[in-house]
Amino acid sequence: MISVSQKARVRLGLVAATAAAGLVLAGCAGNGGTGGSDDNVILVGTTDKVTTLDPAGSYDNGSLAIQTQVFPYLVNTDYNSTDVVPDLAESAEFTSPSEYTVKLPAGLKWANGNDLTSSDVKFSFDRNIAIADPNGASSLLYNLDNVEAPDDTTVVFHLKTDNDQIFPLILTSFPGAIVDEESFSADAITPDNDIVKANAFGGPYVITSYDFNKTVEFAPNTEYKGLLDAATNDGVILSVYADSSNLKLAVQEGEVDVAYRSLSPTDIEDLRGNDAVKVVDGPGGELRYVVFNFDTMPYGAKTAEADAAKAQAVRQAFASLIDRQAIATQVYKDTYTPAYSFVPDGFAGATTVLKDLYGDGNGGPDADKAKGILEAAGVTTPVQLSLQYNSDDHYGPSSGDEYAMVKEQLEASGLFTVDLQSTEWVQYSKDRVADVYPAYQLGWFPDYSDSDNYLTPFFLTNNFLGNHFSDSEVEKLILAQAVEPDHDTRIQDIEDIQARMGELLSTVPLLQGAQIAVAGSGIDGVILDASFKFRYAPLTK
Amino acid sequence: MIESVPPRSKAPAPAAAKKRAVGGGFARYLVVRFLLMIPTVFILVTLVFLLMRTTGDPLTAALGGRLPADQLAERIHAAGYDRPLIVQYIEYIGQVFTGNFGRTLSDNQLVTDVLFRYGPATLELAIYALIVAFIVGIPLGMLAAYLRDRWPDAVLRVFAILFYATPVFFAGLVLKLIFAVGLHWLPASGRAGARNEVALNRVEGKTGIHLIDAIRLGDGAIIGDVLAHAVLPAIALGLLTAGIFLRLVRTNVIGTLGQPYVDAARSRGVSEFRLVRHHAYKPALIPIITVIGLQIALLLGGAVLTETTFEWKGLGFQLVQYLLARDFVAVQGIVALLAVIVAVTNFIVDIIAAIIDPRVRY
Repeated sequence: MISVSQKARVRLGLVAATAAAGLVLAGCAGNGGTGGSDDNVILVGTTDKVTTLDPAGSYDNGSLAIQTQVFPYLVNTDYNSTDVVPDLAESAEFTSPSEYTVKLPAGLKWANGNDLTSSDVKFSFDRNIAIADPNGASSLLYNLDNVEAPDDTTVVFHLKTDNDQIFPLILTSFPGAIVDEESFSADAITPDNDIVKANAFGGPYVITSYDFNKTVEFAPNTEYKGLLDAATNDGVILSVYADSSNLKLAVQEGEVDVAYRSLSPTDIEDLRGNDAVKVVDGPGGELRYVVFNFDTMPYGAKTAEADAAKAQAVRQAFASLIDRQAIATQVYKDTYTPAYSFVPDGFAGATTVLKDLYGDGNGGPDADKAKGILEAAGVTTPVQLSLQYNSDDHYGPSSGDEYAMVKEQLEASGLFTVDLQSTEWVQYSKDRVADVYPAYQLGWFPDYSDSDNYLTPFFLTNNFLGNHFSDSEVEKLILAQAVEPDHDTRIQDIEDIQARMGELLSTVPLLQGAQIAVAGSGIDGVILDASFKFRYAPLTK
Repeated sequence: MIESVPPRSKAPAPAAAKKRAVGGGFARYLVVRFLLMIPTVFILVTLVFLLMRTTGDPLTAALGGRLPADQLAERIHAAGYDRPLIVQYIEYIGQVFTGNFGRTLSDNQLVTDVLFRYGPATLELAIYALIVAFIVGIPLGMLAAYLRDRWPDAVLRVFAILFYATPVFFAGLVLKLIFAVGLHWLPASGRAGARNEVALNRVEGKTGIHLIDAIRLGDGAIIGDVLAHAVLPAIALGLLTAGIFLRLVRTNVIGTLGQPYVDAARSRGVSEFRLVRHHAYKPALIPIITVIGLQIALLLGGAVLTETTFEWKGLGFQLVQYLLARDFVAVQGIVALLAVIVAVTNFIVDIIAAIIDPRVRY
């Protein structure tokens, strides 16, 4: 019989043994259990979250980042190129002004063995439009009338307006992913786990393990026969982080091989000095800008002193006083670059119209020039400007510093007195379209990689800004460039729009975001290009 | 006239009467406690609904800024968010009581799926934290009582206050900086390494509690990795409760040491250490059980911060993500569920306390 004290000793021993075993196991694993294997599986970390794997139900970077790897696209852009070329397709071209015809190679297969035919393509677009999910991007198919699949390898897209130059670009983007009609629902979003279980993939990779917004395991797809080369790695594991500082620690400690989107400017600056990792910079499509409300800004159409010429002079003086480089360097540690036009640098037709027209001509501010503009228009100084920005990090945690600097730069000239206010996003998004803010902050990520995406949504009369801007000349040029088949003529149109908008200044672009990835020093194949798609296939170690 | 005394044979036997009284009292106690839970949950769910709507409708919160005003208005109308609040409230309550919490706006997930997917992680962390609280709080509380009013007691009391008063996220950051970033002993975030997460996700009929799934896999390295990831979050969250346990055990052990039966043992020459270990600590633990009910709410609150600090993907972590995404449908569902968990846990703890200590029922 065991005595009470013996029992106590046994209990104590068990507890001690359990604790010791735990510590030994933990010690054995250490950080080693997190990565660092010798195989060629690449560990990627991101803070971008997924809405859904189903292309009909998502319109966000996190979902697109995965869809790009696992679904086929008819056309695409090759690495480091902005030209739209056949991907899954054998050929893709306008066969009449309102018909875009795609020919598929024969014998294509999905990873699950199903045949990949023109019927799948028609199904993909038809369901996207039929579902019209609020979180989806079916709105980008605004010019698609119907899709025809006359035989197994031919697809004809019938368009509502002729010569739509944007349509092929849209095929490379959100709604362009082709899905397996035998695995996806025709009239509802297909759950992620059903897609994974059906192995309904046709891109360079298939998903072999999926834990929603935690980890995704990719393996090379042997059936893939598209534009991009076969995967050079044995697979990829994507880990989703919520906090950029944890992502930074993970890449710094080697727990992930590549960190892509989004590290903070200070973390990137810190990592640039770390020999264990390398920082890869690429062109960026993000735009940060100030919107002017043409009704309520100083001298706006609905103010007591309404005067369009004076209002324009105020905007032009504003543009002359901003030192973009100082904001980029001091606030964003050069993870952003100055934006001198409405179309960001790197896009076809982008100019530097704001550098040429305003400031010192080299991108710097010029108070004398601003003063001259205001005096010529008869504007009384200092101009009282109410400027609003978002207070709860919708555009990143540095917005406060960014706009404090804008205020400082405007007031340093003595020409402006700025009432700088911030508002929480829910209220902000209501107020800005209710004419509450005379001038305010906004940001933009492109839907597809083309200059048009920085013009059509912004400067047509019924634009998403709702700032009461309207100009018939700009309207005509925007509509013309969208259907102009001649490349050079279209570029000229885009340049003309920027020149005109440079005078009118419905918005004043401030900064352009760069794409940045941080990779372990032994990782190769990190390509960041104007497609804004981070492709896993070339990654290797 | 002297009143006649009822015949003895008609009176219930004392033992049987006592048994019935006790049994009836417990049943009544159970029913009352259960019924009290219903208005508690109802009030909590109502408060959550009203608080969420003070800042506007969920669609404007989630989609405002990207959509033109007319499209946004269309979607608000289609979702019924432009109806009177009372109509929406009645519909919401009806859905909640049928277990339908709706779909999240930001990632189109069933809220109930979110609860089942992330709940096990929070439960696992809460258990680890309770283990830390027991391991640290109870022995140190007994030690403080044993060394009452001497300097180690004073030091332990100060530590207890520090444990309790230090914000969880601050404790988490300090632990992370020291043991993950500085010493590289432990991982900085997550519940397991990326490769092991994939392996755990493949477990047939996974529970979502990583340690159980890792044990089922039978891979020592994965078990070690899971435990290594749990150490810092468990300590950060566990110390919060450990401080309370320490002070509670100390006070109760000191109180029990003054009881006549302890004096009697002392007069028989039983050592002070043995008195604490064998005679005083068991009765002193009973109040801990009742306090655990309250601590569950504290732990869940702390879990929001701990999970966020350590990327521990549980309900607290997910709640923050949905708050940042302004997904009020999801927030409403998660907070309502947390309220239900706290209410049910308190109910269970009350029952256990009533079983252990019958005085609670009266």
